[in-house]
Amino acid sequence: MGVNDGIRDNTNYSTIPEGARPTLEKNDAFFTKKRFGFIFNEEKKTKEVYKEITKVQDLLSPGNSACLGCHAELALRTTLRILGPNTILAIPPGCMGGIGAVGFNGGAGAKIPVFFPLLDNTAAMLAGIKRKYIREGRGDINVVAFAGDGGTADAGFQSLSGAAERGENIIYICYDNEAYMNTGVQRSGTTPKWSWTQTTPVGEQTHGKSQKGKDMPMIMAQHNIPYVATANPSYMHDYIAKLKKAMKVKNGMSYIHLYSGCPTGWKFPTEKTIEVGKLAVETNLYPLWEYEDGKFRLTYEVLKRRPISEYTESMQKYSHLTEQNLAELQQNVDANYKRFKKLCKI
Amino acid sequence: MGKVDVLNGNKAAAWGAKLARADLMAAYPITPQTPLVEYLASFVADGVIDADLVEVESEHSALSVLQGGVLAGARTFTGTSSQGLALMYEPYIRTSTMRLPIVMALVTREVISPQTVWGGQQDAVTVRDAGWIQIWCESSQEILDSIVQAYKIAENKDVLLPVNVCYDGFSLSHMAERVEIPDQKLVDQFLPKPNITHVKLDPNNPIAVDPLTPGPMLTEFRHKQVTAMHMSKKIIEEVRQEWLEMFGRDYGGLIDLYRMEDAEIALVCLGSPAGTARVAIDEMRNHGIKVGMIRIRVLRPFPDEEIRKALVNIKAIGVIDRNVSFAKGMGISFLELKTVFGGLKMPPMIDFIGGLGGSDVTMEQIKQAIVITQHVAEGGEFQEVTWFGLDKIDVETLFSMDKDRSLKLKGVSG
Repeated sequence: MGVNDGIRDNTNYSTIPEGARPTLEKNDAFFTKKRFGFIFNEEKKTKEVYKEITKVQDLLSPGNSACLGCHAELALRTTLRILGPNTILAIPPGCMGGIGAVGFNGGAGAKIPVFFPLLDNTAAMLAGIKRKYIREGRGDINVVAFAGDGGTADAGFQSLSGAAERGENIIYICYDNEAYMNTGVQRSGTTPKWSWTQTTPVGEQTHGKSQKGKDMPMIMAQHNIPYVATANPSYMHDYIAKLKKAMKVKNGMSYIHLYSGCPTGWKFPTEKTIEVGKLAVETNLYPLWEYEDGKFRLTYEVLKRRPISEYTESMQKYSHLTEQNLAELQQNVDANYKRFKKLCKI
Repeated sequence: MGKVDVLNGNKAAAWGAKLARADLMAAYPITPQTPLVEYLASFVADGVIDADLVEVESEHSALSVLQGGVLAGARTFTGTSSQGLALMYEPYIRTSTMRLPIVMALVTREVISPQTVWGGQQDAVTVRDAGWIQIWCESSQEILDSIVQAYKIAENKDVLLPVNVCYDGFSLSHMAERVEIPDQKLVDQFLPKPNITHVKLDPNNPIAVDPLTPGPMLTEFRHKQVTAMHMSKKIIEEVRQEWLEMFGRDYGGLIDLYRMEDAEIALVCLGSPAGTARVAIDEMRNHGIKVGMIRIRVLRPFPDEEIRKALVNIKAIGVIDRNVSFAKGMGISFLELKTVFGGLKMPPMIDFIGGLGGSDVTMEQIKQAIVITQHVAEGGEFQEVTWFGLDKIDVETLFSMDKDRSLKLKGVSG
């Protein structure tokens, strides 16, 4: 069965589970106003932000092979719009490289200078580029990494940590989809406890990943660099404000850790990405914060914390969690949040 | 014009980078390259060099910073040894495949294990097929001169390949000798500012560097890279001539010949043993052995035609190797020389392995090698590979048939 043999392939290759309905359908049992009321509160801010960013050119080349509902691709487009043309972009091996953001077959993936660093030398290569341009009096160029969690927290960590310690004036954005998604969902250093991945399967002897993930943004804050923030493409106005702050930093590295929902790897309907991202924040699992001048600050206060089960039930990677697991997870989330609030008071 | 100083190999290399006006440097200290990093740091601190020296957290990042620098148009310099080179391998091979004209001092050292920090050549010869040009030095002066020359070769538009200037750890890196430091103005005349455009990341002229490339296109890239490596032979010769005219010094381009005009047998050396070999050759000539030497100055690209031409009328070849190939347990120079003749008839050739892990290649050993090579030239039999220090060499027995010569060579046997 192929393109030319005249036989139609009726197989459904969609990643959308059968029965899933579009978000805006009024009788959607999942997407209710009660459950997602906060979206409407955010709507105004989001609209304003999109008004702003759609006025400027999309600097990603048209056509790429990102999965439907990719949070990171959405973030990358917005990121480039905010950074503007005076930018040099590094995309190490990972999903965004795989979708062709650097380029493919002789074509360029972006309308700005873009390149593939190695998986593990992104920060060092960018440091070299920035140093040379500073010497030439062109230190205003944004020198930016858009790297996955593997290229950041695992293989790329030494290079990143070294560059942070040396005060290299680069912007490092990590899109964290919590596993090696480009190679087909294998565990990474940021994969959370109990997550299913291809290499942390759920079986007779195993229950997903048995270890906790690294807290990368906190690790970067402990490097005492000028600016660190967590962000989430479901809260674009919050991310954009942080990116603009990161661009202003001239005395060292700025680091943004982007929560990045992955319908393919986490197994949720492709049209639910924004909602899943919102749930991550509303459950206090991924609080939105920034670290500036040695101070932590929450940039988005959750008024009423939702139970973590709403988040874990929104995707299949946690479908094996027991009541006991959920209770422990809830305890961890609440304890982490409480500790973070205390940190903000220092 | 210029000045004279007493410099060890590492300081000569630092001077080379200074004179070449490298403006972005990054290095991570490793024995025996460490003093080079310290000299560079003090040069920058004292304003002798106008450059950024990035004190990175590893060799992997050292070369990576330079790669970024080249993408922004910088002239770059670093140095490393042994395990540092091994750690650097990932960006190392990519430096040549991305055609980045980076110059790196490779202060050659044995590789572990057993644990060692001393001299040897195993690090450099192991990466000889990673696409870098390798220039091997014999003196501090040659190190300084070769580093400046290396930029001219690397940045040539027909080449655009990285260059390793290799010098033996301790034997060259830590031994001080008289060095003429050329005048900066003259060097500037010899080496114009870099103009690297093929990978330049500049918002004023956006390009994508190294996007995903399908096989047929990659094949073309690889073929161009191999062609550039071949082309570099011509450029190395041109640079040699230009250097000779401007500075009056010559190291022979691809190969360095010593007393080969009337030689009947030849030694082949790589790196520091060549210096000792010159003295041994002079001495053995006094004993009536017509021996000369070919020093392989450039190991990549390999000067096959040049060596074949120089060896074609030689009766026997003795090769001194400070390294081994695990293919058959001989040295790398020996292995490479075998390929020079391919299917053609070649003079008998024997290999001597020594100087590993910082052990010396002594005068005694080189004289033994000459005597044995002479024995082979006269139709005698000898094992293909001899390990100095492990194999018992009984030179007296070799010459027992020739009493006169045996007397003359008294004192040679080990």
